[in-house]
Amino acid sequence: MQKNSLKYAVLLVLLGVVAYNSVYFKKLDEVKANAGSNTDQKFDAAAYAQTFWTSKLLPASASSATDLSALLSSLKTDKTKAFDNSHALGIGNIRYFLVKGEGKITAIGDNDVTVSLLTGETVNLATEYIFGNAARDASGLIKITEFDNTTDLNNVSAELNNIIRKKVLPPFKASAKTGSTVKFVGAIELNKEHLHLENLEVIPISIEVH
Amino acid sequence: MLLLLVGSCTNKSSTGQPKKVAVIVSTLNNPWFVVLAETAAAQAKALGYKTKIFDSQNNTALESDHFENAIVSGFNAILLNPTDSDGSIVNAMKAKEAGIPVFCMDREVNSPQAATCQILSDNYSGCVAIGKYFVQTLRTKAKDTPINYVEILGLVGDNNTWNRSKGFHSVVDQYPNFKMVAQQSADFDRNKAMEVLESILQAHPDVNAVFCGNDAMAMGAYQALVAAGKANDVGVFGFDGADDVMNSIRDGKIKATGLQSPQTMAKTAAEYADEYFKGKRDFAKKIPVAVELVDQANIKDYSTPKKL
Repeated sequence: MQKNSLKYAVLLVLLGVVAYNSVYFKKLDEVKANAGSNTDQKFDAAAYAQTFWTSKLLPASASSATDLSALLSSLKTDKTKAFDNSHALGIGNIRYFLVKGEGKITAIGDNDVTVSLLTGETVNLATEYIFGNAARDASGLIKITEFDNTTDLNNVSAELNNIIRKKVLPPFKASAKTGSTVKFVGAIELNKEHLHLENLEVIPISIEVH
Repeated sequence: MLLLLVGSCTNKSSTGQPKKVAVIVSTLNNPWFVVLAETAAAQAKALGYKTKIFDSQNNTALESDHFENAIVSGFNAILLNPTDSDGSIVNAMKAKEAGIPVFCMDREVNSPQAATCQILSDNYSGCVAIGKYFVQTLRTKAKDTPINYVEILGLVGDNNTWNRSKGFHSVVDQYPNFKMVAQQSADFDRNKAMEVLESILQAHPDVNAVFCGNDAMAMGAYQALVAAGKANDVGVFGFDGADDVMNSIRDGKIKATGLQSPQTMAKTAAEYADEYFKGKRDFAKKIPVAVELVDQANIKDYSTPKKL
């Protein structure tokens, strides 16, 4: 009897081991991480973004940003020509511009700071929703042929946005006051086919508050 | 040699006939792919090439036959909408070995070597835009109070499913008060999405929003919410820009979608084949095609229903 129960116990343990090893539970996140071929771990998007930011984007911001007021008026008069100054790594209607401007802060909201440009137009400097490819694409200095892998490209955008969140926004938010003057360089996204110039959102790249 | 080079730089083949471009498409049983194939063929024809459309009927073996056929019949380029991101690699490689360039449209093959260039919807960035709108609209309703949402995924084995999901989460996960109470696959299928959401709602009746990996599932999810009497309280977000969802956005039923452009992808593929014949070789391995966020605010820009 004792022998039998020992046998059953061993069998039960064996069965348990077999059952435990036969079924695997995998988190969807893990499947997601391994999905597709885009699992090249060698590319360091954070390092790439940091180098691009300091050695290309900031110098370009100082030298080649388009004046926002001038751009707004040329978009109204000759849209096609104005879009010649735009860039995008992909194809389609969504295009980006690297712009600079100067104006007076008229309102400080939870998600943005409203600036009235010297020429009278109103734009919003984003302080909350820093997402998308504007910072990556606006300067036109990253070439799509540098990348075989779209995941790397997406990660570059995310890392550039992180730099903005960590380096650009905190000092700006701390010093921004209604009535103060700001000089900024930033990136904007516009739809070539369905163009809207009201409530224009600028992703800030560098800002000086006076 | 010089003559050969000169010959290869025109739209005529060595025999003096126009060069031939094959369009091999995963299925012609779905209007989306019909638009893709017909636009690609029309554009190639407009550029002066002879074209033929091959329907793979979602069957990789049949696709393989089409490739052999195209190679033997002397096609000079293949515009491919693959049946399977892994299974189609071997087919594309066959063409490559025969010296025929392959341009992928809308769906990718998991090998950067197999295709000359892959022209694909920027699913990730499209869903970043949807994610941003998702957070913006739900946060204005209730600042930092908990928001419970459901994500309905497409086919788990499909790259598009995860690129969309990753783009969406790259935004939404930055807001700790947004809690995903369930994430389940409904295989891009309308009826499955309805069933999946119905059962999720049993366990989580307090859901505020549903993000779906395509528009068919968004329609299914909306149906489930109507049946549960929650259609006015729960926001549904889709992806594709399908006509029925565009109309639902117009009616205020579905909140937003990401509009893809099969026409842009198809035309670009045909134009790239033309550039290849004219000597261009430095194609990017993957070209993202912009996906436009269509929401309650800008739906009026898209007044004409997209023809599918």
